[in-house]
Amino acid sequence: MEHEELFPLLCATAEGKKEAFASLYTKTSAQIYAVALKMLKRKELAEEATQDTFIKIWHGASSYQRSKGTVLTWMVSIVRYRALDLMRYHNIRNEVALGPETDSPQTSMALPTAEKRRLAECMDELEDAQRQAIHLAFYGGLSHQEVVQHLDSPLGTIKSWIRRGLQSLQRCLSL
Amino acid sequence: MNYNQESLRNALAAEYVLGTLRGGARRRYQQLIMTSQSTAETTWLWEQYLNGMGEFVPPVEPSDIVWQTIQQKLGFVERPSNVTPLQNERSPKNSKWRGPALFAFAASLLIAVIWTSVQPVLSPPVTHIAVVNDADTNPLWLIEISDQQLRVRSTDQVIAQADKDFELWIVPANGGAPISLGVLPKDGELKAPAAESLRSVPIMVLAVSLEPLGGSPNGQPTEVLYTTNLITV
Repeated sequence: MEHEELFPLLCATAEGKKEAFASLYTKTSAQIYAVALKMLKRKELAEEATQDTFIKIWHGASSYQRSKGTVLTWMVSIVRYRALDLMRYHNIRNEVALGPETDSPQTSMALPTAEKRRLAECMDELEDAQRQAIHLAFYGGLSHQEVVQHLDSPLGTIKSWIRRGLQSLQRCLSL
Repeated sequence: MNYNQESLRNALAAEYVLGTLRGGARRRYQQLIMTSQSTAETTWLWEQYLNGMGEFVPPVEPSDIVWQTIQQKLGFVERPSNVTPLQNERSPKNSKWRGPALFAFAASLLIAVIWTSVQPVLSPPVTHIAVVNDADTNPLWLIEISDQQLRVRSTDQVIAQADKDFELWIVPANGGAPISLGVLPKDGELKAPAAESLRSVPIMVLAVSLEPLGGSPNGQPTEVLYTTNLITV
């Protein structure tokens, strides 16, 4: 989904135009719901996170700024923060086992924009352990301690992988 | 801790966006976003960096009920017949908090809480207003103060917690201890007599804290979540 396609819809949403909001939902809800479902695993929680996200977008469309990323990236930010809140509130980490797919999200799928291609390239440049730890935290919403349990490595090592991985990612994306 | 150091600022922002910054550190960072423009901008940068990864997840179509619920919550479609504005403008999700919330208000010794029915009244002129925003600058509460009355309206952005209350405080400009103005509504509207301290104490900011049900157990904020300036009108 192109930013150029979504931005006018978001602007119209900020003006209270319900049709534009409905169109924005049609174009983006599958992506937003997919992110929520991957983190929360449970359908009813993913639906709640998606609903809360779009309600926030309706009320807060005018707070979008380009410096927060593309429209879709901004929407992903909102749903991820909401999913993290729900995970903590429901304490679902104790209940839900992670699937193996969390280790290997599909960074090889067709990427629509240069920004996303660059992000995928930079993620690929990370050491395997760094990338895996960051993926677990990002897609599974895991804490450091939960990544420890998943990768069976000491806490200090996990923290170091994530910290250095993020530093490397920033260096790569800043080039 | 010196939050102005660029490397530290980047490290905190990255782990906040990633979600590995947890607990009290995460809440403190959320406050920092609100008070430090450079922190907010660094956070946005990391949202750009990392949250593009969300688009790598294969799309999954949500059930039709999701859109239907959104439309209902936003009032785009008809609701059950006994709905009146403001007081009953609650989502189905929040209805389970209604009992505990009302209990909390009744238990509070900090402020006289009266849920008013929605009827036209002659309101005294508002002298001050404030808007409490969350970390994403979404408005949570609109506060209006007149000589006689404190009026607080919550938005549907307020995320209620069953076992917690939000409490409003004056943070005095003279460095004195925060002064409680009472427990905030989790939904709907609150009207209460304006505290004398609103007129007599020089106010630096208003603050909102997260508290056990009924409000602060010791007269001091337990965990400050948000601050906002009081604006003279």
